[in-house]
Amino acid sequence: MREKLIELNNVTFTYEADEDGTPGYTAVRDVSLDIYKGEFVAVLGHNGSGKSTLAKMMNAIYEPTEGTVTVNGILVDSEEKGDEIRRIVGMVFQNPDNQIVATIVEDDVAFGPENLGVEPSEIRRRVDEALKTVGMYELREREPHKLSGGQKQRVAIAGVLAMQTQGIILDEPTAMLDPTGREEVLKTIIRLNREIGITVVLITHFMDEAVQADRVVVMDKGEIIADGTPREIFARGEFLREHSLDVPQSTELCRRLGFEECILTPAECVEKISSVLGGAAQ
Amino acid sequence: MTYPVELRNVSFYYSAGTPIQVAALKNINLKIGRGELVGIIGHTGSGKSTLISHFNGLLRPSEGSVIIDGEDLGNDKETLRAARFKVGLCFQYPEAQLFEETVAGDIAFGPKNMKLPNDEIQSRVLKAAEFVGLRPELLDKSPFDLSGGEKRRAAIAGVMAMEPEVLVLDEPAAGLDPGGKNEILAMITEYRKRTGCTAVLVSHSMEDIANIADRVIVMNGGTIAMDGTVNEIFSRSAELKNMGLNVPEITRIFIRLRELGYDVPTDVYSVEKGAEILREIIGRRSPL
Repeated sequence: MREKLIELNNVTFTYEADEDGTPGYTAVRDVSLDIYKGEFVAVLGHNGSGKSTLAKMMNAIYEPTEGTVTVNGILVDSEEKGDEIRRIVGMVFQNPDNQIVATIVEDDVAFGPENLGVEPSEIRRRVDEALKTVGMYELREREPHKLSGGQKQRVAIAGVLAMQTQGIILDEPTAMLDPTGREEVLKTIIRLNREIGITVVLITHFMDEAVQADRVVVMDKGEIIADGTPREIFARGEFLREHSLDVPQSTELCRRLGFEECILTPAECVEKISSVLGGAAQ
Repeated sequence: MTYPVELRNVSFYYSAGTPIQVAALKNINLKIGRGELVGIIGHTGSGKSTLISHFNGLLRPSEGSVIIDGEDLGNDKETLRAARFKVGLCFQYPEAQLFEETVAGDIAFGPKNMKLPNDEIQSRVLKAAEFVGLRPELLDKSPFDLSGGEKRRAAIAGVMAMEPEVLVLDEPAAGLDPGGKNEILAMITEYRKRTGCTAVLVSHSMEDIANIADRVIVMNGGTIAMDGTVNEIFSRSAELKNMGLNVPEITRIFIRLRELGYDVPTDVYSVEKGAEILREIIGRRSPL
């Protein structure tokens, strides 16, 4: 039986009205969602669809207005549980410049475990391991502000790993990165999931990142409107476009060529086209 | 002949004259022609933002000269002031810079600085808001009450309301969902069609640049590493990769097919064109 890491049961989140007259609004409406241990789940949705609010409830940054959130069997029912929850699932945000606190890479990664009162020798071991996992060990003595955006995001991911969390939630971690930075971060995320078995929830506007997940959840106006494998979801191009989303260029090309199966990546696309052309190369 | 934007031997140093001096731009020579849509690509830290900050005098070159519409920005305050209005700059995540009490106030900020008459300001605000698709009832709201996409539109409308000769946008679609991104790009295309203005677009999306630009400039290490048509630039896939860049996904598919020995072109930048070419080839080889 698959074990659940994060369980959302009929969760609603309403932002309260501000004193200066800004009206309140419901960002997430009656959502139920289970994230299983070891899964890689991508969450898609238009701007303002409630993705980030949902993520913040999974990490106990927000408590739901209604419904329940359970992380690894622990019910999130008070602010005090936040620290405990964040030892189980960590979070990485969009802006690489807003989440690094220390002046040396390895100190930044050590920040979390130090706050937990972990033994210094154990901290050393965890920091080294985490930095090796994200491919930043060689740069461990650098100053973070001299790193590229992709490198900074990998340091932020290492910071979560050093907490030895079971899961990691990433809220548009590549939105501000250049093509190489995006690729580095995506590869790192895939490695965490497939090689170390860390549960990943990736919120993204990039369809070519979502195709790498085991499962894609689509949000619209605070609700989940689709949940399936990437192949199931990206076969529904028209539906996605209606909700301000899209499909990868590889998928769209193959659809236009009339291929029945849903193609997700450039590699699959090239393979499919060469098989249709029947080894006619040269 | 004058150009809307011309840079002659421009270098720019951060912390100039100190031991930690860093050259962010090195001897840049650049002419942007009237009506061109120039896409600028380059990895983070390659000098893109420093470069465009020179276009309206926001940064002054350490060496060399910036000539806007034939006028050397030099040190003359009036020329510099005029350049601010001729070249409208919209930075990354511009919504973070909205600060007036109302959306209308924010859009009016540029035109007010231009000291235009009030009725002209009013009409420009309405026109720009309509153009970017902001409903009139939003104009009296606080910018903080707008959604992320609406804030982005309001910020772009603020630059458009100055009716600049050159519209410079730094990552205007970053962080937007695919639908929102397409709307912003369509808006830029339509704006140029209506006004004939020159435009500069900085982006990390190779797909967007290939779609929209007439000319592509590649920045690397504070220099212009490449400058050419979409075709000239994206045909140099290996070099782009070495600079931390890439070519559009659709182009990568055609490059790979070519490597496998198929007789396909590699200058394919849109799915439409790609599908057309392959349909033709598949039809010729096997009656499907």
